[in-house]
Amino acid sequence: MSVIQMNTEMFRTYTTTPGKPVLVEFSAPWCVYCRRIAPALDKLAAQMVDTLPVGIINIDEEKTLAEQEQIEVVPTLILYRDGQALGSIVAPESKAQIESFIQETLAQ
Amino acid sequence: MERIYDMIIIGGGPGGYSAALYAARAGMDTLVLEKLSAGGQMALTEQIDNYPGFEEGIDGFTLGEKMQRGAERFGVQTELAEVLSLKLDEAVKTVETSEGTFLGKTVVLATGASPRELGVEGEKSLIGRGLNYCAACDGMFFKGKTVVLVGGGNSAAADAMILSRICEKVILVHRRDTLRATKIYHDPLMKAENVEFRWNNVVTELLAEGKVTGVRLKNVQTGEETTVPCDGIFVSVGRKPATELVKGLVELDEGGYIVADESTRTSLPGVFAVGDVRTKVLRQVVTAVADGAVASHYAEEYLATLE
Repeated sequence: MSVIQMNTEMFRTYTTTPGKPVLVEFSAPWCVYCRRIAPALDKLAAQMVDTLPVGIINIDEEKTLAEQEQIEVVPTLILYRDGQALGSIVAPESKAQIESFIQETLAQ
Repeated sequence: MERIYDMIIIGGGPGGYSAALYAARAGMDTLVLEKLSAGGQMALTEQIDNYPGFEEGIDGFTLGEKMQRGAERFGVQTELAEVLSLKLDEAVKTVETSEGTFLGKTVVLATGASPRELGVEGEKSLIGRGLNYCAACDGMFFKGKTVVLVGGGNSAAADAMILSRICEKVILVHRRDTLRATKIYHDPLMKAENVEFRWNNVVTELLAEGKVTGVRLKNVQTGEETTVPCDGIFVSVGRKPATELVKGLVELDEGGYIVADESTRTSLPGVFAVGDVRTKVLRQVVTAVADGAVASHYAEEYLATLE
C-alpha cells in the first residue's frame, strides 16, 4: 500500500482509530522539499503496510485542518495515536531520520 | 557468500547516477546508496537551464529521477539508505548503512556539497518560497523584484552582479564593513545603481506570509534593528562539502573537499570522488556528470588490476 491522500474526514477517521498510530505528512504542491521526501515516504508506507498507515494532506485544500494542527512549515510530519499528536518532525533529511523519529516517538 | 558489488556509489545526485550508468553499461555490478531521493542538491532547483539537451529547461527533481531511471535501465540497484560508517582501506570495502552492510570492490563518493545555511529559524521551510541559494539558478524568478542577498565573499559578489542585472533592486547584507571578494568584483558592484549595501548587518529573522516578505536585520556594531521588505532572499555564505563520513579516511583540502584530480581518484586505491564533493573549479551538473563517467573508467581500470 502506498501513501494515502487524505482529506479532513479521512484524517479524523485514521487518527481516532483506537490504538492504531498513523503518520501524516502536511504538504503542499508548491513545496519543493516535499517532492524530495516523497520517494522515502512511499518506501516507508510499503514497508510498514501492516503497522502504520502513512497519509498526506494538502494544506492548500485542507486549510482549516492545517490551522487546527498549527502547521506553519511544510513538510511537517506528525505521528498520531488515539486522536493525539505524539510528536512531529519538520523537513527530515533522510528516510532513516523519519524511521528513527517513528521508533522514538512510539517508544515514548 | 555475501554479495560483493563491483561499485558502490554513495549519493544519488548527477555525479553518482552518471557513474552508475557508465559502470553498469561496462558490466559492473553497481549499487547506489541514497538517503532521500535522486538528484541531490539539484532536486531543490526549480528550473535548470544550463544542462544541455532540454531546450525548455527542466526542473531538478525530474532530471534527478530521469538520471536514476536511466541508470536503473541497465541494472543499477538503488537503496534508500543513510551511510553510517565506511571502511575503505581494504580490497573489499565495507559500507555500514541504516539498511544493513554492503560490500564493494570500489567506492565512489558522490555525497555532494550543500550551500551553507544562514542558521536562522524557519530557513528550510522557505526554500522554494522565496529563499534561494543559487542566483544563477533562481534569479530569473525575481525579475523586476526586490531581493536581499546575504554574503560578502566572491560568490556573493558574483551573485549580486547576476541579480543586479535581473532584479529591480538588490540589497546586499554583509556582517563586515567591506566585501571579502577579490578586487575585480568591487568596482562593478559599487557602480551598479540598483545595489544597496547594508554593512555590519546580520539577518536575525526571516519574515514570511506563505512566502518570503522580508528580513529583520541587526547591526552588529550599534545593535540597531531594522526590517527590510523584499520578495526574495539569496543566501551566499559559502558551501559545505558532505565529507563528515570520510574525515580521516581520505585526504581532504582545507575547505573540507575530497582531494582528487580530474581522474577522480582519491588518496585511497579503488575510492573515487565525483561531483561537488571533489576539489574542482566549477561545481555544476555538467561537471558532476562528467566526473561520473571518468570515475567509471578509472574504476574499471582499477578492477582490472585486481584480477
